[in-house]
Amino acid sequence: MRVLVTGMGGHLGTRVAQFLEARPDVEAVAGFDFVPPRRRLQRATFKRVDPRDRDRLVEFVLDFAPTAVAHFGVYEPAARMSPRAAGLSTEECTVNALGAAVRAGALERVVVRSGIEVYGRGPGRPEVPDEQAPLEPTTPFGRTCLEVEAHAAGVARRHDIPVAALRLAPVSGSRAPSPIGRLLRLPAVPVPAFADPPFQLLHTDDAATAMLEAVVRGAEGAFNVVGPGAASPWQAVRLGNRIPVPVVGPGWLVARTVADVAGSPVPPHVLELVRADRVADGARAIEEFELRDMIPTQEVVADLYAWASVTSLPGSGAAEAQTA
Amino acid sequence: MSPTVAARAAIPNYGIDADRLLGSDSLVGALRRRIDGRYAVDEFGGDPHLQDLVLNPVVDRIRVVVRHGDRLPRLGPALLVANRRLGFAEPFVLTAAVHQRTRRRLRIVGVPDIPLLSTLTHKLGGIGSRAADVAAVLRAGHLTAAPLAPSWWGVRVTEVPRELLAATMGFPVFPVAIRAGGPIGLWLRPWVVSVGEPLAPPAGTSLGDPLVAAELSEAVQQSIAAQLAET
Repeated sequence: MRVLVTGMGGHLGTRVAQFLEARPDVEAVAGFDFVPPRRRLQRATFKRVDPRDRDRLVEFVLDFAPTAVAHFGVYEPAARMSPRAAGLSTEECTVNALGAAVRAGALERVVVRSGIEVYGRGPGRPEVPDEQAPLEPTTPFGRTCLEVEAHAAGVARRHDIPVAALRLAPVSGSRAPSPIGRLLRLPAVPVPAFADPPFQLLHTDDAATAMLEAVVRGAEGAFNVVGPGAASPWQAVRLGNRIPVPVVGPGWLVARTVADVAGSPVPPHVLELVRADRVADGARAIEEFELRDMIPTQEVVADLYAWASVTSLPGSGAAEAQTA
Repeated sequence: MSPTVAARAAIPNYGIDADRLLGSDSLVGALRRRIDGRYAVDEFGGDPHLQDLVLNPVVDRIRVVVRHGDRLPRLGPALLVANRRLGFAEPFVLTAAVHQRTRRRLRIVGVPDIPLLSTLTHKLGGIGSRAADVAAVLRAGHLTAAPLAPSWWGVRVTEVPRELLAATMGFPVFPVAIRAGGPIGLWLRPWVVSVGEPLAPPAGTSLGDPLVAAELSEAVQQSIAAQLAET
């Protein structure tokens, strides 16, 4: 199996490349991204290409002629780039990479990263959607995910190859940049005053494991992948020993502006997570991919806070207090 | 059948069993847990710690006689379908009956969708009335109760939730008859809760078959009517 990992520079892409390298049945691993991989890779080939640079991207993919694609070139708004750039990069990366992989002629299977944002939130929708729930995204990131899924489904239809979409809960880890991670780590965090909706997070390693299993097994269809259990804004904020600031209606405008200034932009899908909820039924993926010992949502939250503090350099005298 | 039941064991729940009642801690201890955020939350918005803390003292005051309580499952998911008269009290009575016989928590289907009330009832283990959500709760291994009506309150219609039974096919369904008793705490005659034989679709039916769901609904209704005539 020759696996192309798009978005290999991200935490997810790097991790799944490491997992693929360790498997004897994977003949070669190659990937590209606009940033270099996060960790050392043993035998994977990496090329630094901006996903919007069509010609270089297509040339690279055609040369590699992958039999499988693990598509992680789906960029979350406000994680590493502005919402606009993220949407554009995702679209270009999906169209160009999948198109070139098909043209190379050896493609046998595709797995794309999607998100549980595709279900959207609002009245009349299932509270805990399973994979059959209607796809009506209510945020730009949700719509981007849906477009990626639709594009991949088109490839599946036209070329008759199995395509799987992994609808991941918001991926978060202590070291991976994510807008929800940044928001929860502010000293004071805005939370809804009259609601406390549950949300689920997914650890980077579990997301990578799910991708590995989906690629190796040649999975087909949609799968929700979520961290077991849930957390709620009030609870998560207190778990991190932060101050919850109750916010109502128009107060959210102020809260978003303040958070933005404090270095934590709040894109619509993160605002929706905090104000509505963000959960899904992950039973199918657990069964199909035999995902045992997934890291529960509350441990992902705790992990966020374990690495949270950026201690500024102390003056003389304070150093002893810090190390004590 | 329900892979999440096994997975659930790994969830950090601060010593709180997601399924079974526990003796609640002291008020100070409970308050401290709340302030520190050291409590479990499940994906349906439920908060088992708060559920025990708030619901148990209320429910324990209800006088209820349970007939055939041994039929209630000690483990795993099941759907109870109960008749209602005035509504409102029935979810509490059912919870009392389930506590008395199994020491398990009960999830109530069809809590009202009103902003603050919805948050609160969800925390206490309620879920909305959508069939897909009820199926998700059962897949997660919970004991769940639904009314033999469109909702627990409002119009008095005896209508079997056919859509619900179609969506949750494969999980055991228990028809439960409730005969009204005195209001909470009053020394009048007790409530009577009678648990019927569990019903299941015949082996080999495809999940969600509308015809089988209709037959199942019929069976549930008949069983409840028969039990009501008995009590």
